[in-house]
Amino acid sequence: MKRLLILARHSLGRIRLLLLVMGTLLAVFQVFLIVVAGSIQRSDAFEEIGALLPPFVRELLGPSVTSFMSFPGIVCVGYFHLSVMGALIALSIVLATMPASEIETGFMDLILSRPMARHLIITRTVLIVVISTAALLAMMLAGTWIGLNALAPTDARWPSPGLVLSLAANLALLMLCWSGIAMAIGSAARRRSVAGGLAGVIALAAFLLDYIARAWKPAESVAWLSPFRYFNPFQLLDGNPLSAKNVFVLGSIAVSGFVASYVIFSRRDISH
Amino acid sequence: MSSQGTDQPPISIRKLSKQYGKLTAVKSLDLDVNEGEVLGFLGLNGAGKSTTIRILLDLLRPTSGHAAIFGHDCQKQGLLARAITGYLPGELGVYSDLTGLAVLDLLAGLNGKVSRKYRSDLQERLELPDSVLRRKLREYSTGMKRKLGLIQAFQADPRLLILDEPTEGLDPLMQESFYELVAQVRQRGRTVFMSSHVLSEVERVCDRIALLRKGELVLLSTVEEVRRLAPRRVHVYFDQDVTTTPQLPVGHETVEIKPREWSLQIEGLLGPLMSMLSSLPVRDLEIEEPRLEDVLIRYYMGTGE
Repeated sequence: MKRLLILARHSLGRIRLLLLVMGTLLAVFQVFLIVVAGSIQRSDAFEEIGALLPPFVRELLGPSVTSFMSFPGIVCVGYFHLSVMGALIALSIVLATMPASEIETGFMDLILSRPMARHLIITRTVLIVVISTAALLAMMLAGTWIGLNALAPTDARWPSPGLVLSLAANLALLMLCWSGIAMAIGSAARRRSVAGGLAGVIALAAFLLDYIARAWKPAESVAWLSPFRYFNPFQLLDGNPLSAKNVFVLGSIAVSGFVASYVIFSRRDISH
Repeated sequence: MSSQGTDQPPISIRKLSKQYGKLTAVKSLDLDVNEGEVLGFLGLNGAGKSTTIRILLDLLRPTSGHAAIFGHDCQKQGLLARAITGYLPGELGVYSDLTGLAVLDLLAGLNGKVSRKYRSDLQERLELPDSVLRRKLREYSTGMKRKLGLIQAFQADPRLLILDEPTEGLDPLMQESFYELVAQVRQRGRTVFMSSHVLSEVERVCDRIALLRKGELVLLSTVEEVRRLAPRRVHVYFDQDVTTTPQLPVGHETVEIKPREWSLQIEGLLGPLMSMLSSLPVRDLEIEEPRLEDVLIRYYMGTGE
């Protein structure tokens, strides 16, 4: 246990700056969204802007367009904005492929030549992924809270804490899901670039599959394969609770990925 | 199993094989390393040295056979085995944005217990003071990284040291310090298992030599015995020109023949040569010290017995 904590502390120390910068950017983005939402609120222009949306976007959003085109809707965009999702999934992949990176540099030789069990390497990586996910989302939530308190118009209806927390939890599950997939790939790889690249390509393909399936009916039959199908923030914006099925699927993929990582890493040869 | 770790050999390898697809990296290797000895593990690149070392550290899994450190199976009881082992990899895989001190502290933490005093002694011996260790590794030269590697391997004062090319990148003075360090730990009963390409170093530091060729152990012997196997160079100087072709006894070979000087390579006793030379105008005889390289190179090339 002591060795696990020593290694985890070392790994966290190495990524602390990355987490700090990224968390700050996410928090600032939340504040920015609140400024934008406040500005629209003051000019009472949500309906006008909503009308400007292209028809296919309106069709894609369905009835959620009303929830989306509102002060709480815009405030919550950060929790499902494409760039935020992309950045967080990319970071999850980078963190989850840490073992492959350590093998590549030869650092793993130094660690595992000590009385350090292999499963602790994966446990450390899971810890890092979970802590990083929690830290980043906490900074996003902090940005949202600070922004609302400091900059929201007095007449604006704030998103409920339940909604914001559900969106954050949904995003966290998506990050953990891709961490699990990337970790399983990274546990078998000798190069982080290979593992990360492969996980990234799979994530992109899965995203496109889900996106296409939302607009093109024939693709729906295979869309269930995409983890993004189980990330549905608009349902939450419409006032629905976080779907148990979505939580189960994303959580199961994450846990399966972590379990696969333990098995693969304990059996593989470590050579760089 | 109660005697594990006490009266068991530091390294015991039995019928160890490792295959990568059709390539056999190590083939049915049997090897015992005795406590308190320094064993030189030799072989050309790709002979299977690093593979064997990595199996001992449980970084690689053998295809068949097994290896044990002080009686602890390297796979099944790897934690116990590695708790009493220090390892210097051929290339130190450390992040360049870390300081030397951070690396040593981290690895000491993973080791469990490290004596600060012993580490200071090592730093002093290898001339790597705290002021240098506080610098980022990107500022380190190859030699400084090697010294850092040696300190991290030795700092927990392990019972067994596995060193892969320990003096690669060290300047001659530091090599001397390293040899003294090895002699010191050996004196305290520690065992050193080191791979090396530097035969003069092996000759100087090691008690025994194990030589691998294409994954197979082809020589396991004391340095003295190997030296005895070495052919000797003999130079014979004459008072006047000798034009007859030398009829050399079995095991003797000519290296260079000049009218007033013969250079010969001789295996075995000198008696037959002396008899042959008795009828010639010999002025002087010079016998070179047998060289380890001469034997080992033959084994490397596959012509050794």
